[in-house]
Amino acid sequence: MVKITYITFSGRAHVVDVTPGGTLMRGARDNNVPGIDADCGGACVCGTCHVYIPPDWQARLGKRTEIEEATIEFSSDVKENSRLACQITISEDMDGLVVHMPETQ
Amino acid sequence: MNAVTSPGVHWDPYDPKYFANPYPAFNRLREEAPLYYNAQYDFYAVSRYEDVERGLFDRDTFISGRGGILEIIKQNVPIPKGVFIFEDPPLHTMHRSLLTRVFTPKKMNALEPQIRAFCAKALDPLVEGGRFNFIDDLGAEMPLRVIGMLLGIPEEDLKSVQHQANEKLRTDPGKPKDFTDHQFVGEGFEEYLDWRVKHPSDDLMTELLNAEFTDETGTTRKLTRDEVLLFISILAGAGNETTNRLIGWTGKVLAEHPDQRRQIYENRALIPQAIEELLRFEPPGPSVGRYVAKDTEFHGQKVPEGSAILFLVGGANRDPRKFTSPDKFDIHRPRVPHLTFGYGFHSCLGNALARIEGRVALDELLNRFPEWDVDLENAHLSSTSTVRGWETLPAYTPKAGKAKPVAAAPVAEEAPSGERWKMVLKTPMGPQEMVMTMNRDGNSFTGRIDSPMGGEDISEGKIDGDKLSWVMNVTKPAKIKLSFEVTQEGDTLTGHAKLGMFGKSALTGERI
Repeated sequence: MVKITYITFSGRAHVVDVTPGGTLMRGARDNNVPGIDADCGGACVCGTCHVYIPPDWQARLGKRTEIEEATIEFSSDVKENSRLACQITISEDMDGLVVHMPETQ
Repeated sequence: MNAVTSPGVHWDPYDPKYFANPYPAFNRLREEAPLYYNAQYDFYAVSRYEDVERGLFDRDTFISGRGGILEIIKQNVPIPKGVFIFEDPPLHTMHRSLLTRVFTPKKMNALEPQIRAFCAKALDPLVEGGRFNFIDDLGAEMPLRVIGMLLGIPEEDLKSVQHQANEKLRTDPGKPKDFTDHQFVGEGFEEYLDWRVKHPSDDLMTELLNAEFTDETGTTRKLTRDEVLLFISILAGAGNETTNRLIGWTGKVLAEHPDQRRQIYENRALIPQAIEELLRFEPPGPSVGRYVAKDTEFHGQKVPEGSAILFLVGGANRDPRKFTSPDKFDIHRPRVPHLTFGYGFHSCLGNALARIEGRVALDELLNRFPEWDVDLENAHLSSTSTVRGWETLPAYTPKAGKAKPVAAAPVAEEAPSGERWKMVLKTPMGPQEMVMTMNRDGNSFTGRIDSPMGGEDISEGKIDGDKLSWVMNVTKPAKIKLSFEVTQEGDTLTGHAKLGMFGKSALTGERI
């Protein structure tokens, strides 16, 4: 289990334990963390699991995938550190990861 | 618990008895036959949230390429390229990605002003009537006009397009629809398409004609004419049918929960969560079908390759494993995603549009009708293979002019001299009656307006031929500057007033 902190737009932190191997999106959806809609369930077709990655984690999580790059166009307020949570697979070394959510999905 | 040996539990998707209220049956299926088999029509059904979610996501086992409607799967109806809702990868991926570009939440949310205008056009004439119909007046109007605007279909032709789309889906009560002679063709849109090829615009049709993609053979190309026609035909149907049903359920469910309606009326910030709860509670599409492409299992029971299976969204949305007190309508429940827009690769492309339409419709309804009752005696449910909702849903509103009659309004003690006009202003709070007394002086006039809210002098009264304009500052119910512009025709006035930041309201008046 690794600890992941999801911070909503209003600043509320949700700390959940996520099993490595799943995705950052599933970690939120399975634990009923509000603010990550993930309408398509990780098919990378809806862009509603948009999160911001803090600078110190960006390099470790890597760049957007090609399909993610296309889909993230659907999200609002996309920034340089935007990612789709369904495209990030949780690994053991992600313990302590903190992500921020946009105002709307 | 066994799919085949659950004799006490029965559900028939075509039986009007279940159609009227499927939830008791869904609840039993979910608890007593989580994998249900219906021998009469030879299909399987799962109804637990977890199973519906799993099934809709697993596109390798449960394919869409044989259709998503039970009859289409069972009757083995041929499906041409371009019916993207019934496609599998790689074709589905390519077609869908073309469409997602034009249906982004950002683009859909930008349509809000137009959606509001369509609602106003549909609802404004009804404000004083005391009766309206959620489907005929709003549900069958606004979503159709929005999709028409997106596709670039002329307004005067929208109704026939709608009729055609509805006829394609309608079933006779009690039995499956016969699709044997059905052909998926984008009929009815050829003319627009050919015209659009010559006259490009900024609509979806033009965008689809010009979009380039890499097809399954690796060739970069544009969509064929047939593909574009099918895309448009599907979008036109999807765009008008489902949101129409959402608007109907909004009317019915909120009429039955007046306390929650009142809360929404007073705090419009509750609208998005109210719409989510409506979508959960009464999904317009309560089941989704798939073809089983390889042997699989639910709850230890085999579902063989070649079967048809229904994923009961209406059951999943009320699964107590996922939702507390699921049969209770509660706009304040913690947000747990419902499956009304499906799940996975085929999840509803138009969800952002449906959501904004649903939200704006509710807001604009409440602006004009803070309360209503539905006339279920004269309402009836539609009968189609894919959607469940109201075909017609009449409603009563408390009679307009609940406010004190104008005769009782505090007017000046001595009968004032000058012209007197009785006027009705259709404000967002309902129609307001008022009496204006005016004295003309060349190109200007002075006077006052009395209403049940009180009396105020008017200022900046100007006369320009048959045009009159004036300003009135009111303090009740809020501090607002009202700017009137009306045209006089004999003994009648027509025009509007700008109500500060609340927009324009129509005004009519007659000489008394």
